[in-house]
Amino acid sequence: MRFDRFVVQAVRAQFRGIPPMDEFLRHAIDAGVGSLALLTLLTIFAGMNLSVQAYGTFARFGGQEMLGLFCGVGGIRELYPVMAAIVCGARIGATLAASLANMQISEQVEALEVMGIDPMRRLIAPRLWAVTLMLPLLCAYADAVGICASYFSAVHQMGINEGVFIAQVKEIVTLPDLFAGVVKGVIFGWLVALVSCYHGYRAAKRDGAEGVGVATNRAIVHGAVLCIVLNMFLSALMYA
Amino acid sequence: MPEGFHYVPPTDPAPAVVFENVSKSFGKQCVLDSVSLVVPKGAIMVMLGPSGTGKSVLLRCLVGLIKPDAGHIYVFGEDLTALDESRSADRNKLFALRRKFGMLFQDGALFDDMSVGDNVAFPMVQHTRLGTAEIRRQVAENLKRVGLPGVENKMVSELSGGMRKRVAFARAIALRPEIVLCDEPSSGLDPVMSATLDELIQELHRELGMTFIVISHDTAEARKISTHIGLLYKGKLQAFDTAERVLNSSHSHVKQFFERNTQGPIKVL
Repeated sequence: MRFDRFVVQAVRAQFRGIPPMDEFLRHAIDAGVGSLALLTLLTIFAGMNLSVQAYGTFARFGGQEMLGLFCGVGGIRELYPVMAAIVCGARIGATLAASLANMQISEQVEALEVMGIDPMRRLIAPRLWAVTLMLPLLCAYADAVGICASYFSAVHQMGINEGVFIAQVKEIVTLPDLFAGVVKGVIFGWLVALVSCYHGYRAAKRDGAEGVGVATNRAIVHGAVLCIVLNMFLSALMYA
Repeated sequence: MPEGFHYVPPTDPAPAVVFENVSKSFGKQCVLDSVSLVVPKGAIMVMLGPSGTGKSVLLRCLVGLIKPDAGHIYVFGEDLTALDESRSADRNKLFALRRKFGMLFQDGALFDDMSVGDNVAFPMVQHTRLGTAEIRRQVAENLKRVGLPGVENKMVSELSGGMRKRVAFARAIALRPEIVLCDEPSSGLDPVMSATLDELIQELHRELGMTFIVISHDTAEARKISTHIGLLYKGKLQAFDTAERVLNSSHSHVKQFFERNTQGPIKVL
């Protein structure tokens, strides 16, 4: 199936009524709860690393007190949403693509069709909704964990004044910034799910087990590339 | 047209399935070449033929999974090939038409993230308003019918190949469809299990009057269960008639196939 045709059918299925709740909940829990441990671990280290790098750079001209500003802008506006999208996107996208490809090569999708059930409604719509709704929550969660990690590193490792750090974060990070992160999460989530579902869905029986690997690989790579490229345009649109 | 064979039932005003000059090619390879046949309502039609000769494509065309390049397929008088899947209304019509079918896939095609019970219940949950208790009762009844009582809570991965096939059969007949399609029901099964499945087909045919279209290369199965037999070779329908006439014929392809000869018009690829 061509990508443009898939997109049209997927969007039509997504917005045609409430998706099957059993499938939606299963994928929402897997995408959301299943990604928490990985995202927490990576965001803690990324947040701390942001502080360490910024401190080293700003200390050269005595600007180390601006650490809060940098961690607020760099982390919440850019790093954490993109990280959540790429890390969780890779994890979720791989799962989606592999499960759908496996269903294709074992004729489970055809079985649905023969039963008179639209696979787009049954399989694609709940997956799109699940990831589209979960990724913004994961982005918000990454913002919170990341900024706490930056704070911990700045205050307890670098000896930055606690009040100064918090005041600077409060000054630079506004409600629209947090909202922008959530909007990015929605867009990234939908795109990652769409691309992953497409690669999984287009696998065919003749592709065999290799087809599952190829679909998974393409889902991860295309999802990550799309998120990074799109992030640049979204940031330009939101902050320029 | 096959030599001496083309079953046109004179007294059947509403046949279950009609293929009218159906052709399908994949690239340069012609898989179905102007196939025409009529399957009467309530028949057990076994389509025989060597592997890779287009039998499964025929079945997939019948449920609209593959669109033929030419010809028409009528299911209870409705032209399946006239439906354009890209149009929403036709797509809904196609899905409604497919509900008349139950299909046993070659490898079962069970949903591996569901339990056995959920697999068998799935068509009922999707297409009926039956309550949970009634669905559970019918699932148990269907599983008992296929000789697998009490396996509702097992996962698909815990089943052997034969058990999978029987569960898939229980799912295929769950809604008591008018037409049941079986893609190689005996492949991968031991002779006893294969015979059990054959008897099940006959039982359902007798009790519920379902129409069966069975794709197979098992001549013993064809002899045992069929009311009609077709033989497909290289995409062409070589023979198609009532089982009695086919089995008693001297048609070269039929004779070679049933006598398991290497010599004859059917060449080993």
